[in-house]
Amino acid sequence: MTELKSLFTEEFVDLLVKISGEGIVNAAKGFAGMIGKELEVKNSSVKLVKLLDISKMLGGPEDETVAIYLKSEGTIAGQMMLVLPFDKAMGIVDQIMGEPIGTTQSLGQMEKSALQELGNITGTYFLNYVADNTGSFVRPTPPAVMVDMCGAILDIVIATAGIENEEVLMFDAEFKQGDLSTDIQFWVIPDPKTIIAYGAK
Amino acid sequence: METSIGVGLGEIAVSQNRDQILVAFGLGSCVGIGAYDPKKGIAGLLHAVLPEPLNSTDSESTKYVKNGIYKLMDQMIEMGAAQERLIIRMAGGANMLTSPGLSKTFDIGTRNIAVAERVLQEKKLKVISQSVGGNTGRTFRVYVSDGKMTIRMIGEKETVF
Repeated sequence: MTELKSLFTEEFVDLLVKISGEGIVNAAKGFAGMIGKELEVKNSSVKLVKLLDISKMLGGPEDETVAIYLKSEGTIAGQMMLVLPFDKAMGIVDQIMGEPIGTTQSLGQMEKSALQELGNITGTYFLNYVADNTGSFVRPTPPAVMVDMCGAILDIVIATAGIENEEVLMFDAEFKQGDLSTDIQFWVIPDPKTIIAYGAK
Repeated sequence: METSIGVGLGEIAVSQNRDQILVAFGLGSCVGIGAYDPKKGIAGLLHAVLPEPLNSTDSESTKYVKNGIYKLMDQMIEMGAAQERLIIRMAGGANMLTSPGLSKTFDIGTRNIAVAERVLQEKKLKVISQSVGGNTGRTFRVYVSDGKMTIRMIGEKETVF
């Protein structure tokens, strides 16, 4: 796997590391505010990932998965995604709605709308940090909520980033929340063209 | 005892082992092309990711539909299959994003299917059946024992197509 330092200036690598730490913590604040619970951010990192390896970063490709997906537009374009197991997503909806865990049994229009709003807030908090620290103009698109096999959902990221690239820059972290047993993945994949414009050697 | 052989992104599997099942799990916008020569009992499965390369640096990669189909045919013929006997079935090519404002940007699935249909036609390979498009992921299985091909969508049973 290619090292960040071989592609970008030292100053830019420092900025990427800062964003992967503080930017993701900011995103988690947005998420936590929405569900009204504390969140722990674990294993946040920035790295170059081989495109076809993205499909191996989560569980089984047939696992029923929920993803909240949005893009950033502006001077730094990119993709953002919250990925969580189906059962976990229903627990998150319960928390947003202020219901006891286990109340939501399926994801209808209202439940998906709640998850969209969660994606919107999390993405906006992340992008606000990026904008403040880079002087760039970025805004999120309306989020899409998908419920499907994990592999099928990841095709979106792979196909979008893979048209021109074999490796992509990725910020990722786990959001851990005490009341629910499994972790939530938060991924940000900036568009390589805009990233290169900012920090290429 | 049957063994599943996973066919990952951009991969091809070809087999004459009757105990094997070739599987492309969770196809979204990706397209799977299954092929079977009933006389020789040779089966193959391609899991292609993108329609065509934009540059020439990796134009040979089987992650692209066109190169993938060519290499699938090469590998099957090398094992002893005859192109004119091949039974071809195709699955995948979904548009996973249905949100207004996002879906049109990501219509890779439709493009994958269009390129696959064109290349198969150029190679004079007839598609016997297909399960393509829509907004749902699919798992595609090819049973080497008898050439049976199936799909399964989330929450549904495996069905022959």
